Amino acid sequence: MVVDHETPSLENGQTDKEVEENANVLQFMDSMDAYLTLIHSLSSTLRRGWLELASARHSMGASRVNTVLLDHTSHPAATSLLVTQDEGKVDSGKPHFTLCKWASSSNENSLLGEKQSSQDKLHPQLRHRGSTELCEEKTSSENKASREVDDPVQKERSKSLSMFGTLVSPKLRAAQLSFEAALETLVEIANMRSEMLCAFDQVNMKLEGRKDEK
Amino acid sequence: MILSWGLADNTASTFKSSSMANTAHIPTSNSALIAMIADEETVVGFLLAGVGNVDLRRKTNYLIVDSKTTVKQIEDAFKEFTTRTDIAIVLISQYVANMIRFLVDSYNKPIPAILEIPSKNHPYDPAHDSILSRVKHLFNAESVASTRH
Repeated sequence: MVVDHETPSLENGQTDKEVEENANVLQFMDSMDAYLTLIHSLSSTLRRGWLELASARHSMGASRVNTVLLDHTSHPAATSLLVTQDEGKVDSGKPHFTLCKWASSSNENSLLGEKQSSQDKLHPQLRHRGSTELCEEKTSSENKASREVDDPVQKERSKSLSMFGTLVSPKLRAAQLSFEAALETLVEIANMRSEMLCAFDQVNMKLEGRKDEK
Repeated sequence: MILSWGLADNTASTFKSSSMANTAHIPTSNSALIAMIADEETVVGFLLAGVGNVDLRRKTNYLIVDSKTTVKQIEDAFKEFTTRTDIAIVLISQYVANMIRFLVDSYNKPIPAILEIPSKNHPYDPAHDSILSRVKHLFNAESVASTRH
């Protein structure tokens, strides 16, 4: 069977160009839908965080959970962002954000530990019958590694909470976790925003080209 | 499936400037900050999550907006955060963004990304979101109706 590669492929009467245009449109609609879904998720996470913060203020007292107590001495942010260019195209102009939680200079090892544990999750070890001791050793070493990773993170969390005193309400700790979750959602929103704007530009370019043809 | 939208003439220049802004070079960074212009509860919450930064000149990466904060202060903070090279995302409560809507809507750089967020007393309204306002021109019902006839 001879396949003719010169004539454009027809699929339900559509040319390759139209298929590409439809793909751009679908990508734009998908990214916009994902953006709105993430915003909705963020709203509920923030509501939970505000409620927990209000509960903490109620139990600890308004004077103990107050902006007057904020640390105004020079200090770097413990949670920051890694900004890279999108890997799809060099000139895409699309940034990609990655959240680095509790990533102070002393926690570089903890970040590497988290990477290792996440890689181990992607490539799980096969279970070997008769070598249960080895598996248990591995499990205990993984647990030790995750504990080692968690300890500096817990230290950073405690340091952040300490601006409101040594003994804080469990609600304040819960609020901290809620706002951490909100940060993760926000970074996803930022990436989805970039995708949406990129897809929007693609659709616009096609529409402007069609308008010029007319 | 082909969706057709009509484009108003006055939107073409906005789309072009958006395209040009998006093809600009993206400054990469491995420790960029998140700035905040929001109410007290929101700022305190995110400070608990570790995003607070104070530099050697005692300049912070956040502005707490309350009843005494003026529109000029909000504008100055927005301009400062969007021109700093160490900030990658600016979080701004939507009700605060509405106070400086012209400034927020005219901003079109990819970095820092401006994200409008809800506040405790003002839920998120997609009709006011700067990004959704920019793309909603594609869903102009009159234009769709006119192209069908």
